[in-house]
Amino acid sequence: MNALAKLTTVELKLLAREPGAMFTILIPLFILVVFGSSITPGDTVLLPMSLAIAVGLVGLYQLPTTLATYRERGVLRRLSTTPVRPTSLLTVQLALQLVLALTACGLLVAVAGTVLRAHVPSSALALTVAFLLGTAAMFAVGLLIAALAPNGRAANGIGVLLYFPMAYLAGLIQPPHQMPPVLRNVGEYTPLGAFRRVLAEVWAGGFPSPVMMAVLAAYALLISLAAARFFRWE
Amino acid sequence: MAVIEVSGMTKSYAGQPVLNGVSFSVEEGEIFGILGPNGAGKTTAVECVEGLRRPDGGSARVLGLDPGKDGRRLRELIGVQLQHTQLPENIKVWEALDLYASFYARPRDWRELLEQWGLADKRDARFGKLSGGQKQRLFIALALVGGPKVAFLDELTTGLDPQARRATWEVIKRVRDGGVTVVLVSHFMDEVEELCDRVAVVDRGKVVAVDTPSGLIDGVDAEHQMRFTLMTGDSADLAALLGDLPGVSGVSRTGDQVVVTGRGDFATAVTAALARHQLLVADLRIGRRTLDDAFIALTGRPFGDHA
Repeated sequence: MNALAKLTTVELKLLAREPGAMFTILIPLFILVVFGSSITPGDTVLLPMSLAIAVGLVGLYQLPTTLATYRERGVLRRLSTTPVRPTSLLTVQLALQLVLALTACGLLVAVAGTVLRAHVPSSALALTVAFLLGTAAMFAVGLLIAALAPNGRAANGIGVLLYFPMAYLAGLIQPPHQMPPVLRNVGEYTPLGAFRRVLAEVWAGGFPSPVMMAVLAAYALLISLAAARFFRWE
Repeated sequence: MAVIEVSGMTKSYAGQPVLNGVSFSVEEGEIFGILGPNGAGKTTAVECVEGLRRPDGGSARVLGLDPGKDGRRLRELIGVQLQHTQLPENIKVWEALDLYASFYARPRDWRELLEQWGLADKRDARFGKLSGGQKQRLFIALALVGGPKVAFLDELTTGLDPQARRATWEVIKRVRDGGVTVVLVSHFMDEVEELCDRVAVVDRGKVVAVDTPSGLIDGVDAEHQMRFTLMTGDSADLAALLGDLPGVSGVSRTGDQVVVTGRGDFATAVTAALARHQLLVADLRIGRRTLDDAFIALTGRPFGDHA
């Protein structure tokens, strides 16, 4: 087996042994099931909300904590003494975190669509585009946290600290129509808010609007560039 | 044949010079020590040689390669154990070895390394559950799993108990005997004295001496002491008798306990004089000069004094 395949296998095992990864799957599922008992069939609100929560948890919490811990423990530095470049590990980690987000979302869609009989959009393309853009934006924020946090615990703390205001602004904690209008309007243009918004557009039967796609793409690009600029290997 | 040649290497961090023209060469098949107090620039020098850092000036060749330009080819040929690095808590011993073996074109059989380094019964243990000594042995095994020609080991016994240190030393000798050149960075005198074929003494970013450990010690003209207990003989004028011998700088006597202080090989002169005057002595002890003395002589200050 070549190095990249081996690295992926080992990192996948490590991810599966990580209790945090379980939580990022179980927390949104728990929310979905608890609130799912009070929704009507064909509901278009709860499922996209829980998807945004799931991707937000992976991007803001799991991804930066893992990467910052690797840097803190010198894992990246140790790799740079071998023929394999530490960028391979970052690439593998990003891919696996994407798989984690996909797994969490897949599980949510499956449970919501079958047991809870919530609405599941029929356009796979619209859903995929929304998911990928939203995930890219959230992962970019996660990468920036990993770049700036001095260690794994700090990354964890920053992630949790950022998660709640971002989730609030995205209308994931209080329903948007009960929020102060200013916060609601601003919130729609935050990374998580824009993600929730494109999901809502998809759940309303449409395709993500160009403005919101552009907002998410801009976040993904600019924040990753900032992360790359500030990232330290040691 | 020299496998590593470093000449005039310089490096500064934020205007603070860390390396002030470091030069040394390492011969094939030896354990080469880089000894110096914390902050002397040892690790920086070695990391420049490994290609992890770029020196500001000077040159380094490792196995004929330039660490800056031929990094990729070089990393196939060297094994590195870094100071202060860890593995993920949850990785198992065999997984780490298997993973690192996959990084190299011609790796060694990691199962063999497991046996050799006494980790066979820890094969399925997670890294976080290993003892300090087991972790250290795993790091050495990881540094060797690529089948390197040169292994760099940085402060490998820090934090180990005396027994684990001794055990580690034994296996390092076995590594050399297996044909791998070892570069050992250490701030432990005893470790360097025990293990190294040759040592570069580094102080404030400079190599102040390169020699065998015993060569360094013999080169020291530090004052040391010999003690003995007088048993018989007319010894009233002992101070006058010994005080004039070459190298002797002081004689003190308390009852029949005598302490002679001197430099160089004064002990031979003292024992000869005692024999000539038929003075019988017991409990003769000669203060052994150590690498610590060598360090003080080379740098003008004690080893622990980093200021």
